[in-house]
Amino acid sequence: MSWLYSKWWKWLSVILLTYVVAGSFFVKLGPGITSVSPIAMYTDSVYTFQITCYHSHFTDAKAGKVQLWFKNRANYYAPLSFKTTSNETAEATFAVSALQQDSFKPASLDAVINDELDGTFALRDAITLVKATAVDSSNTALLISTEPEVKHNKHQLVCYPYREILYETIRNTFFHVPMWFAMTMLLFASLVGSIMYLVKGEERQDTLAHQAVVVALLFGVCGYLTGLIWSKYTWYIGVSWSDVVRKLLLEDIKMAAALVAMFFYLAYLILRSSIEDEAKRAKVSAVYNVFAFVIFILCVFVLPRLTDSMHPGNGGNPAFSKYDLDSTLRAFFYPAVIGWILLGFWILSVCIRLQFIQQKREV
Amino acid sequence: MKKFLNLLLLTLLSLTTFAQGESGTNDFFKSNLKIYVVVAVLTIILSCIFIFLFSLERRLKKLEEK
Repeated sequence: MSWLYSKWWKWLSVILLTYVVAGSFFVKLGPGITSVSPIAMYTDSVYTFQITCYHSHFTDAKAGKVQLWFKNRANYYAPLSFKTTSNETAEATFAVSALQQDSFKPASLDAVINDELDGTFALRDAITLVKATAVDSSNTALLISTEPEVKHNKHQLVCYPYREILYETIRNTFFHVPMWFAMTMLLFASLVGSIMYLVKGEERQDTLAHQAVVVALLFGVCGYLTGLIWSKYTWYIGVSWSDVVRKLLLEDIKMAAALVAMFFYLAYLILRSSIEDEAKRAKVSAVYNVFAFVIFILCVFVLPRLTDSMHPGNGGNPAFSKYDLDSTLRAFFYPAVIGWILLGFWILSVCIRLQFIQQKREV
Repeated sequence: MKKFLNLLLLTLLSLTTFAQGESGTNDFFKSNLKIYVVVAVLTIILSCIFIFLFSLERRLKKLEEK
């Protein structure tokens, strides 16, 4: 096991994680609309809407023509007037004729903005349309849907995608998700150690299997706690802490299955501590470990695919499809995964070497 | 060492009560487009790893004392 003592991959993890943490601090969130006010409108009167955006570049020289539409289903409607007041604010006037109100189903409008630098971004259901009860005439002109003409739909910036509900927490992709990758790789290393022990019968392979489970559980706990706080402020806004825990265990299959899998490995550690005889302990726990890994794979990779979950990529879809990650996220996500896995193995190597010294002393 | 671990645990404990105090209004963690959730996540990961490293050091110390 010379990899325990070589240094290059430890340095690689330092470089990768430094890059990832720096990237998670310095790369901005992409353009998005944070609010449109007022949030509701009656028919037949002209409203002036104040639109507040985030990280948009309306007055930038490269922005070109800034356009706005109000969208209902597939229909785009141009505002009566539109002007940008600063980089991140704009003003639009708009009115809906009462004669047309029944064509708005559902009775809400999305705000969609496009410019050449920021691309197209939108706020779903930005304005609720309050329908009039009696309609005989109208004092505003009928709306005609337009075909939007844009230069770029995609932004020309280096930024993370702006998603409603998630907002800045999209950066957690580099911290929460790789915890589970690291845990899986460590448990795989443990499986390899156990199989090697059963084949060769060397004590150091048993040490590898044991310590890898300990470090994997550390990463599992990290993944769990980070997932807990992330879900509290995204999926479960306004839900109390006790309800968050209950909902996660009952409603999110991935969370519940991961907990079951972790308990199997906790049982592995308890099993080890209950057997006095060293050779017997190593053999029994190695066999148990093979079965525990199979259950882990079933719980984490198979079970969540069978049913719906709040996690992206579950319910039949493979995780991390092209819809979940864009190119900027990828540039940091893959290094993050490798970096955290290497950090896990670094901690593992220290644990194993410590155990080796302990065993040498005892002999 | 044990004192230090206790101190660390207590600081962490205060962090959770702080979060609970906010759960009624949800102001702090939701401000600035929820950036503090990222801070909390990084804090959790770092403190878990630090606690693990301290426990590792305790094992090492036992060996040294033998």
